[in-house]
Parts: sequence; structure tokens; C-alpha cells
Amino acid sequence: MHPNEDAIHAYVDGSLGAAERTGIDRHVASCASCRQLLEDLREILRAAKALELREPPARVWSRLERAITLERDDAEPVARRLQPSGMASDTGPAEAGHDRRASGARGPASGARTLQPSGTASDTGRAEAGHDRRATWLAAAAAVVLATAVGLRFMPSGGESVRSGAPATTTVAEGDRAESVETELRQAEAHYEKAIKGLEQIASAERNALDPRTAATLQRNLAVIDQAITESRAAVRSEPASEPAQQSLLENFKSKIALLQDTVALINEMRKGNEAGAARIVSGLKQKGD
Amino acid sequence: MGSAEDLVARCQAGDVEAFETIYRQHASRLYTLACRMAGSPEDGEDLLQEIFLQAYRKLGSFKGDATLGTWLYRLALNHCLDYVRSRRAKMNKLTSAIEGEIACEPAARRETPIARLDLERAVERLPEGCREAFVLHDVEGFDHKEVGRLLGIAEGTSKSQVFKARMKLRALLGKP
Repeated sequence: MHPNEDAIHAYVDGSLGAAERTGIDRHVASCASCRQLLEDLREILRAAKALELREPPARVWSRLERAITLERDDAEPVARRLQPSGMASDTGPAEAGHDRRASGARGPASGARTLQPSGTASDTGRAEAGHDRRATWLAAAAAVVLATAVGLRFMPSGGESVRSGAPATTTVAEGDRAESVETELRQAEAHYEKAIKGLEQIASAERNALDPRTAATLQRNLAVIDQAITESRAAVRSEPASEPAQQSLLENFKSKIALLQDTVALINEMRKGNEAGAARIVSGLKQKGD
Repeated sequence: MGSAEDLVARCQAGDVEAFETIYRQHASRLYTLACRMAGSPEDGEDLLQEIFLQAYRKLGSFKGDATLGTWLYRLALNHCLDYVRSRRAKMNKLTSAIEGEIACEPAARRETPIARLDLERAVERLPEGCREAFVLHDVEGFDHKEVGRLLGIAEGTSKSQVFKARMKLRALLGKP
């Protein structure tokens, strides 16, 4: 008689007593299927222990840095921080100081990093400073646009509705649930579309900062995602209650937002002259595009 | 680079570079945990950002009685568990849907060793509930009692969830 599966799991975990262990040893010596199960479970456990760490995409830090900076500088009016027109020339020392912080540059005291490419001297002039400030408002604008989408987690079919951004629905009678889900989906869709539109505006206005090959890769990837959005939207329209269709549409929106975020992060790194950061992002884009 | 205490003090003084150093030191570990607990890299990415934003806000409560890595890990784990709990209402439905899907897809047996990427993908496909128990027990190394406490389930339930996850992985990885 075969030992029950739980005993075999406990055996591979090493949590069986000596007598039970001996019983299983004796059984598997003559039972090929239990021996196979034991070996498979051991292999799964070995593989699970050997799983490697994953590297988060470069955009996470860019997003986080922006969020922290915005939070820290909360006292300053947002409109002022996002003001691109002041980027060129006549900002005073206080504002220039803010710009350095917000764009990730450090003051002389901490000194480890500057925004100037390859250690160029500080007197490279106003064009450099303009780039710094342009990178600043660009990334800050992207962060604000994303504030509508970050944490937006639509849960189809009666789960927690959304984390933020869209209004939560109250509990509804079972008969109204489908309608409620559709309403939530439409709201989530509207939020994603708004975020996407904002990011697209930023990305297309600044696209000339990208080299043509990278821009072409981005365009190709965007076209693939747009096609997927069109298809999943059609699926949702024909079957509004279908969870896979809803999930697929939202996943495609998230993919598009992630790609646009990469684009903005890349433009930002290039404007800052951070070649290593830009290369990291481009490498991620190529992997996704392969 | 500086000690953890130095980095924390610099962060509290508004030094974003110090916080970036902390991020670079710990992000992979926490991102990996978040992806596996959430079951998708996209959600893992959102969780990672939220975890570090919360860490930035709570750095003042880091007293140095644990290492910074341990403090961050606990914070991340709690955040992931909150996320998992918030999805619990949906769990049963999804579990049965995926169970059905797996039952319909018997994979042909493969004799090759399990590839890391295949296992990662298979873990993502595990049903809610048993995935978290598997990640906490078989990957993160918590015992069943701790897993039960973390997930708010009985120790015996943790065992059955982990065993169920392993059997599903065996099927998904072509080793039925």
C-alpha cells in the first residue's frame, strides 16, 4: 500500500519520525511511482532554494526618486515645480538648488554625482543647466501623470475595487454585480487612458532626445501593445463579464504605461548625461522587444 | 558608502543619494519577494515602489536593533501580506479557475532538470493561497508555524497549501 502524499512531503521536508522514514524508505525501494514522486519533490525543493534574485527595472528607482523628491519638497507649489519655461536662464540660487535635488544631482558636500556627462567642468554653461532643469520638470511631470495610475489595481468581479484613483464601489446585490464590475472597469480604463495620454504627450514632445534606432524600437513595441489593447478591448466589449478579457485589457494598459515610463526615464537619463542609466533602460527595452 | 546608521541619518537629513544606496543594496531581494508573493512582475514593481516609499517615510522608526536589511524585509513582507489579504476576497474564485485550467493541461513528462525560469513562471501560475505558502515555506525558508501566523491560517493549512503547490508545480513543470 502506498504511503499518503502528505507523508512523502513530510519525508522530503525531513519532518518525519525515524520509524515512518524507514517505512517510506522500504516502500520506495520497491515502488517506482512513489520513488519518482519523491525524486520530483526533492528536485522542486532544490530548484526553489536555488532561485535567483531578480533585478527591478531601472524605472522603479526613477519613479521612486521623483516621488520622494516631490514629497520632500511638498511645500513648494506643484505648478512651480512643473514649470518648464523657467528652465533656461533666470532662476535664482534657491531654485537652482531645488532643481539639483529634484533631478537627482547632489550638492558639493555629498559630491558623488553630478548631472554633467563624463565629469565635465561646472562652467559648461547655461545649456547644461538647462538640460538639468529640463530633465527635472520632465521627470516630475511624468511622476504627476503617473500618480493617477500607480497603485491603481482594478480587481474584477467583486474583489477590492481599486487602490486609489477610481472611486470604490460599495457592496451591491448579486444581480447588480456585473453592472458594477463594468462600471469599475470603465473607470479604471479611463484612468489608465488619462495616464497614457499624459505620458504620450511627454514622450512625443521629447522624442528627439532619442537616437533613431531606440525610437524605432520603442515605436515597434508600442505598436504591439496598442494592437493587444485593441484586441482585448474588443474581447471585453463582446464579453463584458469575462474576467480573462478584463485582466488582459488592464495588463495591456499596464504594459503600455510601463513602456512609456521607460521612454520618459530614458529621455531623462540622456538629458542628464547618465550613459550607464540610459544603457540599462535600453537593454531592458531590447529584451522586451526581442 | 557608510554604515546603515550613517545612511539612515543621511536619509533623514534629506540626502536622496543615501536613500538610493539603501535602495541599490536591498531592492533585488525585496523585488524578488514582491514578485513571487504577488505572482507577477508588474505587481511586484508597484509593490517595490510602495515598500520603499513606506520605508522612506518610516526610517525614523528604524532603531538599529535589527539590521537594516531585516527591518526592510519585515516591512516588505508585511506590505506584501497586506496586498495578499486585500486580494483574498477574490482568491477562491481564481483558485478554482486555475485549478480547472491546470487539470485540463496535463504536461508531457520531461526528464530534463528544472530550469530556473520555468520554475519562476510556474510559481506565478500557482493559485492564490498556495503560492504564498509555497514562497514563504520552500523559497523564503519559514516553517509552517510561521507561515500560518503570517498568512493568518492554521499550521495544518499551511502544510496542505504547500503540498498542493508542490504537486501543481510538478504537473506544470512536466513531471507528473
